[in-house]
Amino acid sequence: MNLDLLKDILIATVPLLVIFPSLFAFTTWVERKALARIQNRRGPNRVGIPCTRISLFGLGQPAADGIKMIFKEDIVPRGADRFFHLLAPILALIPAMMVLCFLPLEFPFWNAQIKAMRAFALDSAIVFFFAVTGLGTLAVFMAGWASRNKYSLLGGMRAIAQMISYEIPLVLSAVIIVMLVGSLNAADIVREQRFIWFVFTPWGFTAFVIFFICALAETNRSPFDLPEAESEIVAGYFTEYSGFKFALFFLGEYIAIFAISGLAVTLFLGGGNGPGAGLHPWVPIAWFLAKVCILIALMIWLRGTLPRLRVDQLMSFAWKFLLPLSLLNILITGAALHLLAAVHLHGGGQLDALTDRKVDFNQIIEAGNPWVIGGLWVGSLLILYVAARGLDNLTRSKVRPREYKYAE
Amino acid sequence: MSQEVAFWILSAMAVVGALFAVRLRNLVHGVFSLLVFFAAVAGLFLLLMAEFIAAVQVLVYIGAVGILLLFAIMLTERVTGDDARRVISRGWFWGLLAAIAVFGMLLLPAIRQTDLPKTAQHDVKPSVKQLGKQLMNPYAVTLEVLALLLTAALIGTVANAQGAKPKEEDPK
Repeated sequence: MNLDLLKDILIATVPLLVIFPSLFAFTTWVERKALARIQNRRGPNRVGIPCTRISLFGLGQPAADGIKMIFKEDIVPRGADRFFHLLAPILALIPAMMVLCFLPLEFPFWNAQIKAMRAFALDSAIVFFFAVTGLGTLAVFMAGWASRNKYSLLGGMRAIAQMISYEIPLVLSAVIIVMLVGSLNAADIVREQRFIWFVFTPWGFTAFVIFFICALAETNRSPFDLPEAESEIVAGYFTEYSGFKFALFFLGEYIAIFAISGLAVTLFLGGGNGPGAGLHPWVPIAWFLAKVCILIALMIWLRGTLPRLRVDQLMSFAWKFLLPLSLLNILITGAALHLLAAVHLHGGGQLDALTDRKVDFNQIIEAGNPWVIGGLWVGSLLILYVAARGLDNLTRSKVRPREYKYAE
Repeated sequence: MSQEVAFWILSAMAVVGALFAVRLRNLVHGVFSLLVFFAAVAGLFLLLMAEFIAAVQVLVYIGAVGILLLFAIMLTERVTGDDARRVISRGWFWGLLAAIAVFGMLLLPAIRQTDLPKTAQHDVKPSVKQLGKQLMNPYAVTLEVLALLLTAALIGTVANAQGAKPKEEDPK
């Protein structure tokens, strides 16, 4: 292996390994503070700089937690499968970390001779992203199974059922963006959003809402935290984990949250685009991370305000509401794109938008008739709104108090 | 050089994973070693620059087939997976015969008749775009028929599963 390759690898991966775990530490503090504020408490406010009385709003808490986790006793149940019990937290972290490489983050270096590097510049980055995130499910199952504990196994089973159900609308809402751009490459998708972020199109907006809900479910965030529901199954799949293994699970979960928020930012919120993005190579990265942080804040807020779903509600919400809506969204997007292209051609527009690369969205938006585009906008939004209300009424009438078949 | 090393590591992983998948008595361990095999194959695809196929390998085999197998195990009574009984396989002779037949009559002629390049190829890059165009244009009908078949199988399974349950009487 030559030295240049090694240098490139380091430039591409070390910032990821530095930025995201430190963001994790900060996020745990923000989350505890925000939840405390919502619940009318103070949250962590003691730990600051060691050996002084400076508390810095408890900002030292993540470091103290980390030290505690390292020195805590690692307990493995006697009946547990020791190897899998050890392997599960590691396997939970690896896919989450790996997925960060697919985000369109290009790290520049101060030395001008070294060009900006991205870890994986793949053509099919979006497919890879979903493929690798799916591996997290296996780790959750492994943890639940290896612990030899009823609650752990129940948590693992819940996790699998939930994750594969919500993965479908998640991928289908990402398909919308792939249709609009005509590429699976993350950098292409970001480049296509120079003028208009996809969240500001009716299809993109619907897809973003579905994507965000499914992202919450995929990462086991509240209100979809059934696999680790404290009031029902102790702590779900990591009931039997303590010490640093637990910390690894925690880290993996948060890195997965960052990764999926990063994908949402890439697909819908314009990636690193923003005012002044061309000024300096670090500005797009700052924009990207700022947008990720906003999504994380939204997730914390939701966690503090919404109650947990019931299992049957969870399933019917995924299969009877999100799935039909995202399928309908795909149909409407296709129809709208074809209409836009037809009107564009009818008005004597250039055809190079249509030949090879299918419909070039930006080109049509720029050149098209504003009335037609506006009409399509309002029409699509109206159809999607009516569909969402209709589906909501259909499923809502079926939600009754739960019948307990075996418990009585 | 480094590619060769990667190839040997991945091949060893694949062989060991496949062996363990067959030999391990614990069902869950078997499934996970099968997944190791799938992952190694995905790595081999990546080594051949077939990134899309590698992604689909991970997505379909590890993500879907693996989870399906685990689901199946969870629905059985032996959720814990440990089963020390020896599995008595009476048909091992016929199995061996079938394996030899498949290898000799399908794989070997196919390998021998394909004109494999003798030297390393660097420009070959089957891109996602080409694959997509092939699927949407010449093979669109095949794709649709396959999708229809899978949907029919799915509906059939659900219908079968529901038919087995005796009808409960509604008190209302």
